[in-house]
Amino acid sequence: MANRVDHEYDYLFKIVLIGDSGVGKSNILSRFTRNEFCLESKSTIGVEFATRTLQVEGKTVKAQIWDTAGQERYRAITSAYYRGAVGALLVYDITKSQTFDNVQRWLRELRDHADSNIVIMMAGNKSDLNHLRAVSEEDGHTFAEREGLSFLETSALEATNVEKAFQTILAEIYNIISKKALASQEAAASTTIPGQGTTINIDDSGNTNKRSCCST
Amino acid sequence: MDKKRIDDSDSVPVPSQKLDRFGFVKQELNNSPEGVSKTRLASEYVREERRVRKWRKMIGVGGSDWKHYVRRKPHVVKRRIRKGIPDCLRGLVWQLISGSRDLLLMNPGVYEQLVIYETSASELDIIRDISRTFPSHVFFQQRHGPGQRSLYNVLKAYSVYDREVGYVQGMGFLAGILLLYMSEEDAFWLLVALLKGAVHAPMEGLYLVGLPLVQQYLFQFDQLMKEHLPKLGEHFTQQMINPSMYASQWFITVFSYSFPFHLALRIWDVFLYEGVKIVFKVGLALLKYCLDDLVSFSKISTLFLIRLSGLCCAYGCYMFVYQTSLPFEKLIHALRNFPEDAMDPDKLLPMAYSIKVSKRLEELRQEYERKNGEVAQSADSSVKQKLLR
Ligand SMILES: Nc1nc2c(ncn2[C@@H]2O[C@H](COP(=O)(O)OP(=O)(O)O)[C@@H](O)[C@H]2O)c(=O)[nH]1
Ligand SMILES: [Mg+2]
Repeated sequence: MANRVDHEYDYLFKIVLIGDSGVGKSNILSRFTRNEFCLESKSTIGVEFATRTLQVEGKTVKAQIWDTAGQERYRAITSAYYRGAVGALLVYDITKSQTFDNVQRWLRELRDHADSNIVIMMAGNKSDLNHLRAVSEEDGHTFAEREGLSFLETSALEATNVEKAFQTILAEIYNIISKKALASQEAAASTTIPGQGTTINIDDSGNTNKRSCCST
Repeated sequence: MDKKRIDDSDSVPVPSQKLDRFGFVKQELNNSPEGVSKTRLASEYVREERRVRKWRKMIGVGGSDWKHYVRRKPHVVKRRIRKGIPDCLRGLVWQLISGSRDLLLMNPGVYEQLVIYETSASELDIIRDISRTFPSHVFFQQRHGPGQRSLYNVLKAYSVYDREVGYVQGMGFLAGILLLYMSEEDAFWLLVALLKGAVHAPMEGLYLVGLPLVQQYLFQFDQLMKEHLPKLGEHFTQQMINPSMYASQWFITVFSYSFPFHLALRIWDVFLYEGVKIVFKVGLALLKYCLDDLVSFSKISTLFLIRLSGLCCAYGCYMFVYQTSLPFEKLIHALRNFPEDAMDPDKLLPMAYSIKVSKRLEELRQEYERKNGEVAQSADSSVKQKLLR
């Protein structure tokens, strides 16, 4: 197959990073993709983008992560990026209860703009600042359970659970995908089994709706 | 308490850190031997002297001759500004060409009033971003130092002065670049001049709810790009790259967010005199400059493009997975990391000046307004119809 030349991975998943400004999204991203943390980082204007390839359930998965500006007013341009995302990491800051209170609004944002089956992980970041904690881990857990989200407390600074948070999202996406692939395979035996280097559009109706994701 | 960490952040700036000539902490150790740059500086020094003398004559003491000169020889002024305003006169000239001087003189005491007596709903938002604005500049580095305090004051004052705009991320970079060249009060009035449109089209739409002007500029840029660089435009369309992925910050911060400072300053010189069209021109010049690199990225993988169309959309589908190489990523990366020679103002700017955009920009603005007006109107009329029923 000619198109195998350039393939270093089996799957590519688009993930969005959302949450209030200042909770640590950009540093979570730099920790995950470059293993860097920066105390002197700039606030994000608009959207940023980074990728990392890793092993998930024995498959090579490329995570394509979009980091967005957190300020409310920026949603006018950032919400376009939710479209097509298969996963979201919704971040709050455990030292600022306001950012936890706003999680509900971010969920609504996702419901309005993202695919309804998007896999969501909630992350309570800055767990290294335990002495300044304003949101208990239990409150995080209770909320996540009620909303059906995965949950972890993370620290971009100390590199705690950042890897695990992404691993969890990616594994969950992968599991849904492979189950779905199996189901559709059974439903329509004619469907070609997804091999390496193929795009599989898991589409119940069987036809592909080609539209650009990010046109505003 | 977390004493150690607090001490850490307070201890900057350390006297030993290396700064460039604008006061930014040097990232990498510069390997070029000092001697070479010294001799080059010496010959440049004489030229610079001559240039400053010319400029001083042009503006007069404290700017007294400026208006007269501009009226008499607007083209000379334009040409000289395009070559770059001498750094020692930059602050003054910026105030003269932006119209902020006049605002300041017309509003004595207003700034002080705003800073001292008013409170703003955006105070916490501003504080959160203060240490994230030019964090590598020596003036803004020190926690609660004079730089951070001025930045806070200017942004707070603005958020009170114009409560509809308030404070929006990105404004700090505008205020920051101004504060490196003038006092707080002067910087404040220049910000007002820009956002309220003292001389050119007001910029406030970049920051108002819905970011309407960002959307308009991105539309205009997208069209211009396709017209000036059709080949690249085609590739971008195929790969679903649109300007909002790389150019929003160009407009929102007028290139001050992530471009080398010496280049940003040169762009600001022209921006303040000629208006926002220079942002479009520089943007197009950047793409043009890197055209070959960008297109060759695309060529490698044209074969895969068809498969890529599943990349983003998930309408009505369950979920999308795509497994193919992505020139997309390489392109986005290239668009955020332009090669060093493209960052040379004396190469990039002449190219930018040679691109003509004014007429098309105006046409595209009208087109955008028509389009948007229709959307707004149809939404409006459907509401009315509902109400009538
Ligand atoms: N202590 C601590 N600080 C963090 C952590 N993550 C981010 N920060 C700091 O919080 C501030 C905001 O981080 P940033 O990544 O820019 O937030 P964003 O606006 O959500 O992208 C920065 O000063 C970071 O250094 C963390 O895990 N622990
Ligand atoms: Mg950020």
